[in-house]
Amino acid sequence: MTLGLPLRRRRNGSRFFVYATLIAFVAGSLFPFYWSFLVASRDTGMLSDHLPPLLPGGNFWSNAARVFDAVPFWKALGNSLVVSGTVTLTTVLFSALAGFAFAKMRFRGSNGLFVFIVVTLAVPTQLGVIPLFIMMSDLGWAGHLQAVIVPNLVTAFGVFWMRQYIVDAVPYELIEAARVDGCSVFGTFVHVCLPAIRPAAAVLAMFTFMMSWNDFLWPLIVLDAGNPTVQVALEKLQSGHYVDYSLVLAGTTLATIPILIVFLLLGRQIVAGIMQGAVKG
Amino acid sequence: MTTLAEKPARQDAPGGPARPTLRQRLSRWDVKFSPYVYIAPFFVVFGLTGLFPLLYTAYVSLFDWEIGDDDPSFVGLENFVTLFGDPQFWNAVVNTISIFLLSSVPQVIIAVLLAALLSLRLRFPAGWRVGVLLPYSASLVALGIIFANLFGPRYGLINATLETLGLDRVEWQANRFAGHLAIATMVNWRWTGYNALIVLAAMQALSRDVYEAAVVDGAGAVRRFFSITLPMLRPTLIFVVITSTIGGLQIFTEPKLFDAMPGSNNGGSQHQFQTLTLYLYKSAFEGFDLGYASAIAWVLFLLIVLIALANFLITRRIAATTGLKR
Amino acid sequence: MRHLHKGVSFAIGLAVLGASLTACGGGSSGSSGDGRIELSIGTFTEFGYEDLITEYERLHPNITITHHKTGEGGPYHQNLITKLAAGNGLEDVVAVEEGHFSDIIDKSSKFNDLTEIGPADVTADRWLDWKYEAGRDSDGRLIGYGTDIGPLAMCYRRDLLEAAGLPSDPEGVKSLFATWESYFAAGDAYVAGSGGGAWFDASSQLFNSMVNQLDIGYLDRDDNLTIESNPGIKAAWDRITGAIQRGQSATLVAFGNEWKTGFQQGSFATTVCPSWMLGVVEENAGPANAGKWAVTDAFPNGGGNWGGSYLTVPKQSAHPKEAAEFAAWLTAPEQQLKAFQARGNFPSQQQALTSPQLLEQTEPYFGDTKVGELYAEQARKVTRAQYKGPGDGQIQENVTMPALQSVEQGTSPGEAWQRVVDEAKRVVK
Repeated sequence: MTLGLPLRRRRNGSRFFVYATLIAFVAGSLFPFYWSFLVASRDTGMLSDHLPPLLPGGNFWSNAARVFDAVPFWKALGNSLVVSGTVTLTTVLFSALAGFAFAKMRFRGSNGLFVFIVVTLAVPTQLGVIPLFIMMSDLGWAGHLQAVIVPNLVTAFGVFWMRQYIVDAVPYELIEAARVDGCSVFGTFVHVCLPAIRPAAAVLAMFTFMMSWNDFLWPLIVLDAGNPTVQVALEKLQSGHYVDYSLVLAGTTLATIPILIVFLLLGRQIVAGIMQGAVKG
Repeated sequence: MTTLAEKPARQDAPGGPARPTLRQRLSRWDVKFSPYVYIAPFFVVFGLTGLFPLLYTAYVSLFDWEIGDDDPSFVGLENFVTLFGDPQFWNAVVNTISIFLLSSVPQVIIAVLLAALLSLRLRFPAGWRVGVLLPYSASLVALGIIFANLFGPRYGLINATLETLGLDRVEWQANRFAGHLAIATMVNWRWTGYNALIVLAAMQALSRDVYEAAVVDGAGAVRRFFSITLPMLRPTLIFVVITSTIGGLQIFTEPKLFDAMPGSNNGGSQHQFQTLTLYLYKSAFEGFDLGYASAIAWVLFLLIVLIALANFLITRRIAATTGLKR
Repeated sequence: MRHLHKGVSFAIGLAVLGASLTACGGGSSGSSGDGRIELSIGTFTEFGYEDLITEYERLHPNITITHHKTGEGGPYHQNLITKLAAGNGLEDVVAVEEGHFSDIIDKSSKFNDLTEIGPADVTADRWLDWKYEAGRDSDGRLIGYGTDIGPLAMCYRRDLLEAAGLPSDPEGVKSLFATWESYFAAGDAYVAGSGGGAWFDASSQLFNSMVNQLDIGYLDRDDNLTIESNPGIKAAWDRITGAIQRGQSATLVAFGNEWKTGFQQGSFATTVCPSWMLGVVEENAGPANAGKWAVTDAFPNGGGNWGGSYLTVPKQSAHPKEAAEFAAWLTAPEQQLKAFQARGNFPSQQQALTSPQLLEQTEPYFGDTKVGELYAEQARKVTRAQYKGPGDGQIQENVTMPALQSVEQGTSPGEAWQRVVDEAKRVVK
């Protein structure tokens, strides 16, 4: 579903322009990944070559195998999947709940609470590791995955995003229709709101998954040596005074694959919700 | 504006209003208490894991607190007073705002335009969406090396190209503005697609009816975009402006990666690109001065709130005047 | 819509599952009634301890050891500082690098005195005395057992020196590198003879070496900042900035991205080479430059040290005695030699320095020089440990190094020096 006129009715010139711009943009986005793969498939010496090669070499699988030997990569992958998967699901769900409440329900203090939530985003988080670690130790969670999961179960960003989205995306007419039909509030949430916010939920899921997947410092501090997430495990590859970048980048390339899969799965969801056409006039 | 109200009472037999039935009472409670239940998960998690760090940093900022200190002394607002007299602080403020403007302003504009392009009927739409978001998932290791290779003052690609074109080399590390530009480029590269997707998702929710009416009226694509789409996207635009303001003033990773000295928090040999978050991080983890670092954090917070508020008001006005009034 | 309900329950189920999976796995409280003890050790980069840890566990069946290894020093020390601030979470044995050690010494009350809890037979004569002395705080408590060191030598490009008309044989370079004056004079000759080539890669290493050779460093024994009154520091500053202004510096940042390219392109002729730098030079310069780099024991003013670490036992540890015993074992000459063979970390223990395996070691890349012997000699040339007060490491890394960088980028030395003084005062305040 698109917004504007179907492309084929435009002049060929603007179609070319659109694709050319997008290709340029995506090429710029993809280049570092291709480059990482290049280095991972060759050797680190390539980094200082005057005229860097453009085609991959044959070392990728051997470098990848070295990654698995050097660090507990499967375990780290598993941990990261549990952490990022859980955090993504809960963030989307709880943000949608809160966003729905702020967007469509009137209740005492809603404005103040919402502004408070947005304002918490402005607090710099660099120092947070110290008090958070104190807390996690006191709770006995240091070294366990819940120390990484619980602080990220729902974010102010998610709530803010969902509320902004739901304000326009979920028309009151539909809500009222559902209420008249006898739906409880939760039923309205499930049957009216959730379907309408599919694109937003997909985007939030992508962002949350990615942020959680790439989180390094907090898992490093709070998790145990034997229980790492992917980024913590990968960082071990950078040890030594001389860093073997082909190994490191092989690791990061491998670590990007799950993200790509999640993206492709969710990317298809960023299409128009089924609300379009359901509201007459 | 209507809200989730209780269900209309059942029509009665003539003779007077019926007493509220159990269902109606449950429905009223449902409406009354549901909001609080729905926002509860956020506040529970926040109360558990977000509140304590906030209070802790606020508390610590009032002390002369060195890391590992068992008996820090209360100094009230002295950290803040010192901060306002600290030239390195003001240097960081200027750097932060400069990098913020250089990155967030073009970023938001490009993101909106990119979203417009992405919303057209394209072949393989999921691929384009994923493609623009990918930069955000790039590993920092790769990012650091690539941009160092691009912006290296001696052997970098950009300087080499400039030289072959007969132009002067740019001192990316030494020159303050050049450094800000390079860092802004890194930031934009990473975050533009992110913002574009946010706008795109919002665009998908817009009703087609108004749109199609405009098409029938003969409005051109560009005019439609500015007069109809943008104003309807106001909540999302406000969101993007506020979050990129907040994020833009908290930029940390990119200037840290950009420094030629690996792992440095200096923000350049003369702190020419040290942002406030870098300065606060350095004060805590190199200077061991937790009290001072906490003070910087809170001053930064105030700065962000002020600028975000200003941007919010500006965006609200702009979005209101570009087209249909809501 | 049905699947949405399922989605919700799935999410909750996953969260519960995840929490329960990770919740069991037991609180390892460190020991149980049957005498089993769990120790943890934290290291960064490569200490070469992997096999040693397994061996220790074999020798002590009641002890299990967890090795918490971080790749880079930066995140490692940040983790350390966080846990120091939090008051718990540190390992039983914590490695600390030389550059950060002065900050640890400042907080020595958080660490155990190893002479008290360590094995009685582990005494000062195990190590080089300057290494041992540097491990003590101002009250004389021993905070760290020395692990490895980085004795300084000078690496130079034979071919580049030759091409510029300077002597490049081992005997010839001795006169070039005998003192700092002769070093920089040779630099001038090199710049002239090579038509503008750079003599050294980065100014900060040379400056640090000069300062470290002084009797008194940035802080005196009373922890007062000496920067304004210390003639040695100012003299070193003038020397190095003079050399920079005469074009001797390649203005690269050590370990930065362009530094590696600098090796490949041969953009400088000499570089300060601690023992661990040999591998770095080899990897950076690559096979194309094999045999062109040479290392000589002629180092201006004798010798010096850059790098090396200590093993500490924080007071947070639940098993200080066992931890100290473990640390003492790891830093025994035999074990350090094994670590040296595994990873090249140069030992700081006297006995290790006389062992044949070490003395016989050669480096093919550097023309089969007997590097083990060379560095053992250099290690002995260091006569005293300069006192490093709190903030010393910071001044070196975050004050003088960026200031020298700014001189290389064009700032006047006078202006940069003022900056050094101001910022050093701030560090120490």
